Amino acid sequence: MDSSTTHSTPTPTTRREVVFCHECHDEWYRDEKGIICPECQSEFTEIIEDDNDPRDNFDHAHTDDDDDLDDSLPPLEESGSSNHPLHNHNPWSDADDPEEADISSMRLQPIGPGRFHVQATIHRTISPAQFGASGNGLGAVAAFQSFLTNVLQSAHAQQSPAGASGADGQAESRSEGDGQPRVHRFTYSANAHLHPRDDDHPEPRGEPVDDLENVVTGLLAMLGEPPGGRRGGPGQSAAFRDMPPNPLMGLFAAMSGGQHGDAVYSQEALDRIVSQLMEQTATSNAPGPASQEDIDALPRKNVSEEMLGPEHRAECSICMDEVAVGEQVTELPCKHWFHHPCIAAWLSEHNTCPHCRKGIKGEETSASAQQGGHGAASGGDPTSSMPGAFGVSGEGTANQPYGIPGSSHPDANANPESNSTAAREGAGDGSGSGLGERLRRGLFGSPN
Amino acid sequence: MAALPKRIIKETERLTKEPVPGISAVPHDDNLRYFDVTIDGPSQSPYEGGLFKLELFLPDDYPMTPPKVRFLTKIYHPNIDRLGRICLDVLKSNWSPALQIRTILLSIQALLGAPNPDDPLANDVAQTWKENQEQAISTAKEWTAKYATRDTNPTS
Repeated sequence: MDSSTTHSTPTPTTRREVVFCHECHDEWYRDEKGIICPECQSEFTEIIEDDNDPRDNFDHAHTDDDDDLDDSLPPLEESGSSNHPLHNHNPWSDADDPEEADISSMRLQPIGPGRFHVQATIHRTISPAQFGASGNGLGAVAAFQSFLTNVLQSAHAQQSPAGASGADGQAESRSEGDGQPRVHRFTYSANAHLHPRDDDHPEPRGEPVDDLENVVTGLLAMLGEPPGGRRGGPGQSAAFRDMPPNPLMGLFAAMSGGQHGDAVYSQEALDRIVSQLMEQTATSNAPGPASQEDIDALPRKNVSEEMLGPEHRAECSICMDEVAVGEQVTELPCKHWFHHPCIAAWLSEHNTCPHCRKGIKGEETSASAQQGGHGAASGGDPTSSMPGAFGVSGEGTANQPYGIPGSSHPDANANPESNSTAAREGAGDGSGSGLGERLRRGLFGSPN
Repeated sequence: MAALPKRIIKETERLTKEPVPGISAVPHDDNLRYFDVTIDGPSQSPYEGGLFKLELFLPDDYPMTPPKVRFLTKIYHPNIDRLGRICLDVLKSNWSPALQIRTILLSIQALLGAPNPDDPLANDVAQTWKENQEQAISTAKEWTAKYATRDTNPTS
């Protein structure tokens, strides 16, 4: 069918209304001949529209004996630009259900070796009533779109309240700090849910935190907890005392210097914290430190030939540096010897010989421990210095692992190791600062 | 990071020059305190034939504090939990500066050969180990075959 067949056929594209007669299949312009068929006077006629062309259905249904057919060949596929064999090919043309999706135009254009550009126009035949009701005929698509929009909006709505309520909580905090009346919000959200954790990103602040904080705060208020009262414990800075009485926040902040909302949501986060605690307490039941006096009192001696042993060479097993004859070393009562700075650094943390685990003091240590107080009490006792007794001896010092009675001794400054600094802090400020120091070391001393 | 202590350099050199049979420890190029470790499962143990990957990190105050060691290969062992953390006294309270990377890794290898369910880290494993040792050992063998094979666990 080339373009010559379409010369006499009025087409809808002229924007004049074309009328089609269902009886004789004639076509005419409405503005010329009206709505009644000029051929057969039938009233069974229809105005042709772009999306509703009754001629389609009759083209294939008609038999050869219909002489009028030639004149009423479908005026579709007017492009005419392509003479490709598949031009105007309509694989759905046999479909007799007018409700079926219909392809009115399909073009295959080779755009490269083995590649084709396929262009097709699909239209649906629906009645004018349906057409009007569904707007542009995309009712199903529009419905799906609005469904998607709703889903996205509700998903978004689940996220945004968390952030918004977090901001509320902070605003509330400030007003409480100024002595304003306290407001307690109870929030319950049906949206609270678990979601898989993303290792690469921080935990999202979800609803449960806010709930918990508010519930606890509210509960305490109902129990008559005075605002701000009993919060400013000795371990807390002035800043925390000014903060609103949120016990969880205060606890987390005091422990880690952390931020509002530190909490554990997942097994992984819990594992991390447990790992951290395990590392921090890893050596807590190890023998406690030796006193600085005892360390200073250890005998120094110069390395002699026989100390080097049969191989005529030896090294300090702490720094692994080779030791030459004549070099000064420090010898422990168990006769094991080391560089003085090396062994002093170790003994100021743990009163054990690195080789045999014996303490550096005999019964004298227990006496000095009694007058000196905590810290050096362990390890000094010969029995507790036996390997099997470590657990027992360690328990006594677990609370004050870095407390050294003699740490104010001027010689303490001679120790170049940073650990002695921690030891002095621990002894001076009590266990709180010791814990803080260890937390800091745990946090910053960890790999990565 | 501060300069690498001589001791760490020496230990690394010796680990390379005189490697321990069945154990390898190679420091990362960009962090000489961080080692990729492999340990062969000891013979006569459920871990025989397996190649276990670990990571080892020397903290700043090493050797005053023990190295941090962790299994990367999944292993069924009463003293090693599912995150690979190891319950071993010399890594904790019984650490001594006279110990070294070499001795620590040997201790871990020995721990594979001698599980101690009475001092557990993985409670469920330890319980099975105590109540039904046959079952536990067979599971350990299964896990070794499944997770610690050389094919899926290249030494590099």
